[in-house]
Amino acid sequence: MDKLLPLHEPSAQDRRIRLLWLLIAVLFVSLPHLLQVNIWITLMLLGVGAWRYALEYRNWSMPSAWIKVPLVFAALAAVGFTYRSITGVEAGTGLLLVMLALKILETKTGRDLIVVSGICWFLMFAAFLREQQLWAIPYILFGISLSVAALIQVHRVSAVLPARQVIIKTAGIIIQALPIMLVLFFLFPRIPAPFWAMSTVGSSAQTGLSDQLNPGDISSLSRSDSVAFRVRFNGAIPPASERYWRGPVMTYFNGREWSWADRGEPILSVEELLVGGTYYEYELMLEPHGREWLLALESPVQWSQNKAYLSANLQLISQIPVRQRIAYTARSYQFVQKQAPDVERHIQAMRHLPSGSNPETLAFALKLRNESSSDSDYLNRILDMFRQQNFYYTLRPPRLGNNPVDQFLFASRRGFCEHYASAFATLARAANIPARVVTGYLGGELNPMNNDLIVRQSDAHAWTEVWIDGNWLRVDPTAAVAPQRIELGLDEALSASDFDFRRNMRNTQLFRQAILSLDAVNAAWNRWVLAFGPEMQQDLLRNAGFDKPDMRDLILLMAISISLLLAALAYYLRFGIRSKKDPLLQTYETFCKKLADSGVIRHRSEGPASFAARASRLRQTDRSHIESITQLYIGLRYESIGSIVPTAELRQLTKLVKAFKPTSD
Amino acid sequence: MKGPAETLCAISAGIRNALRERSNQWILKRQGIDDVSVTLHRRRTYILPTRAGAFFAVVVLMLLIGSLNYANNMGFALTFLLTGVGLVAMHHCHRNLAGLCISFKQAKPVFAGDKAQFEFIIDNTDALSRSQIGAGLKEATAVCGDIRAKNRAIFALPLVTSKRGWITCPRIELSTTYPLGLFRAWAPVHMDLQALVYPRPTNRLQTILSASSAQSLSGLSLIGEDEFSGLREYRSGDSLRNIAWKSAASRGILLVKEYKEGGQTPLWIDWSQLPYPETETRLCAMCRLVIDADAEQQVYGLRLPGVTVSPEKGHSHLHHCLRELAMFAPAKPSRS
Repeated sequence: MDKLLPLHEPSAQDRRIRLLWLLIAVLFVSLPHLLQVNIWITLMLLGVGAWRYALEYRNWSMPSAWIKVPLVFAALAAVGFTYRSITGVEAGTGLLLVMLALKILETKTGRDLIVVSGICWFLMFAAFLREQQLWAIPYILFGISLSVAALIQVHRVSAVLPARQVIIKTAGIIIQALPIMLVLFFLFPRIPAPFWAMSTVGSSAQTGLSDQLNPGDISSLSRSDSVAFRVRFNGAIPPASERYWRGPVMTYFNGREWSWADRGEPILSVEELLVGGTYYEYELMLEPHGREWLLALESPVQWSQNKAYLSANLQLISQIPVRQRIAYTARSYQFVQKQAPDVERHIQAMRHLPSGSNPETLAFALKLRNESSSDSDYLNRILDMFRQQNFYYTLRPPRLGNNPVDQFLFASRRGFCEHYASAFATLARAANIPARVVTGYLGGELNPMNNDLIVRQSDAHAWTEVWIDGNWLRVDPTAAVAPQRIELGLDEALSASDFDFRRNMRNTQLFRQAILSLDAVNAAWNRWVLAFGPEMQQDLLRNAGFDKPDMRDLILLMAISISLLLAALAYYLRFGIRSKKDPLLQTYETFCKKLADSGVIRHRSEGPASFAARASRLRQTDRSHIESITQLYIGLRYESIGSIVPTAELRQLTKLVKAFKPTSD
Repeated sequence: MKGPAETLCAISAGIRNALRERSNQWILKRQGIDDVSVTLHRRRTYILPTRAGAFFAVVVLMLLIGSLNYANNMGFALTFLLTGVGLVAMHHCHRNLAGLCISFKQAKPVFAGDKAQFEFIIDNTDALSRSQIGAGLKEATAVCGDIRAKNRAIFALPLVTSKRGWITCPRIELSTTYPLGLFRAWAPVHMDLQALVYPRPTNRLQTILSASSAQSLSGLSLIGEDEFSGLREYRSGDSLRNIAWKSAASRGILLVKEYKEGGQTPLWIDWSQLPYPETETRLCAMCRLVIDADAEQQVYGLRLPGVTVSPEKGHSHLHHCLRELAMFAPAKPSRS
């Protein structure tokens, strides 16, 4: 018999246990932030948690309003001072943590625990604005489980539950909620564009190509091992020397730096293009870089990204900056030619050189052109010069002054791809040949785990295109100095002095394997989970048999699925829960079954004692066994205190029943 | 002067109460008056979000908007897991209450001013253990506890009494906010239950004094002339009237006169011989006399206008007399 007792104040121990659950939940949820936010916020949260626990433990009184109110204002002012604002993700996170600390200090009864939980959930969301790696899944599961456990404990009017029971109850709720989460994740209508833009954390710190090319830009990029994008080919994979991934095309040169000026360029329609050669189809998953360009194998002709167009420089450009990881499929042809009526006007700009800069180069170019028979001959002579004279390919070229091309060509002769590309394009323009510098990536590492081609920032590259005989021709001057760079990749092309350690590390078999495995997992995570958006949702529905899935289909499907899940849950709660069978009764039923098998069947109305009497009469030989078993059973069933059956006696009964072998008729 | 915040609070409380009354009227009309034993079927177990639940919904909605805005898939995962938790909690909450069987056990009579205890039994015939089931009169939860699977629980709901007669038990409400406090499931039960309230006995000394003064004034004896059988030592609870003051003075200890039972003349506690003008005061005094007479194990009878309880003694007689006092309705003022 249980008893519902009058409401009473929770005991000190109960209060302490509740607070402990709450503090554990809060601490776990703030973990990803504690090292990211300003140190004083971390210290404040930890300090307030310890203070609050000490208050409860020592049974001291809570701080008065005279302490709390100034504390609130001081903390808010400190956040504003630290972040210079109270909006934005970083300042918002700091603000949430401070609010959390203050709320913990104020929480007296636990009634407003829901507010603390709410702040915790916002904090989890803030953590995902920073990054969404694989750890997000355990973080969500444990974070919500802990707050659910804390909610269960706090809403108990009676004594708190033992930890084991709370864990079981929490796990039950979470497991039942998971299918609902999955259905909503896949079927909740996703919308493509954000309502309002807000700078996310780290967008400024993202590494990648730039819209300007200064000498030294790409060599600094080459030090980064972070992934730029991953590609999965549909069919053949191009050979290493053909893996030119086209990025920003630099057409404007001011004598020192090349810059991207594609924003105002006319949109090129695909119909105007003549294509030829082999083509490659692939899916590209681009890491966010915060800029408008999309990367594609040279030269893209078809692509799945809706809000993207091909510029006159054959560059794939997105109308919105790439702030999230996006995936698109594309088809690229080896040879693409543009047939545009205004070609002459377009290429005229590619002949421009600023007057007065790099005079030595200009003079040299005029002299060399006069010696050459044709434009092609002239360009070949330049490449021969790179090849035959002592030009070096290095990641650590010397600094260059105001006329960088002059200095590079006639003094230092040491440079990275951007130096060669820049010099080559300048020389071409000096001879009145239209030329432009293309930045992008060259190569990529094939991951044998999933056949993904991983292209890293260290694969960044710059090459040139020159207008010869009415066609744009790719010329990679780096290939003249360091042919290994094109065939084998950066690491092979660099001299031993560049990154010795890195090469050794990366060439260790085990290390490489580990990196590639991890990348395969991350790629799958990005591909299937993080990239899930409006397009993948449409594909999902199409695969499920909807011809033209629209918002209404989605909502309908979602509503039906959720209703079915909830009906299943209600059914389970109503009929699915079975009590554990009483071990005592089970043992006795085994005994009855043995007797029934021997021919003595217990009637429904017969009590154990009368059944034993009848059975003893019928089975005189087993009399003593029947009686001792029945006696023990009755003793345990009706004389034990409460529902707890002493285990020693139960074991004895089980042994007796097991040994019991009634004689049959 | 009331501040605007207080006024607002008062208005919202007023609206809440009005809504509550309306919904209870509707529920009563829907369910009718219940038997003394009633199973809380699913269809009569109601559920609504609590204030915390509304807050939870707002938080989830804000998270959803944030996730949509940033197209943040882990944000979606978080939001939708919380949505799932909320929906699951709703079902658990409802299931936690539905299917229980509540039966009225008893309500022992009490004296006016004491709390009447309406005792109930809850049977949980399911294999599901019930957590944090609260019960109370109207919406105020008075008791709370867990009920294990296939088990029963008892509870008593106190109701303050003020005057004698039958007191009617208002609506009983079983409720639970388990597991997360986001929802509150409740089941109103309208059983036709009453408890008897005896008049509140007047202060002992007052009664005795006024009784003795009445005795001396009117010359009527309230006490029957019993056959004296001897003296014994005073025990607490003995009537002051029976103390043998003379013997006590001579011996130095309190002695009490004892009377032979057989020869006991019945004591009549008579309405007409009490000197109080008011009906209720008179009943209260009679109540005191009845209790005292019972404590002294006397044989006593009760005379009320229109009602006579013949002299007897014992527990059931006591309650018979008290019941008559509780139920007494003065026929007409002119008669007394």
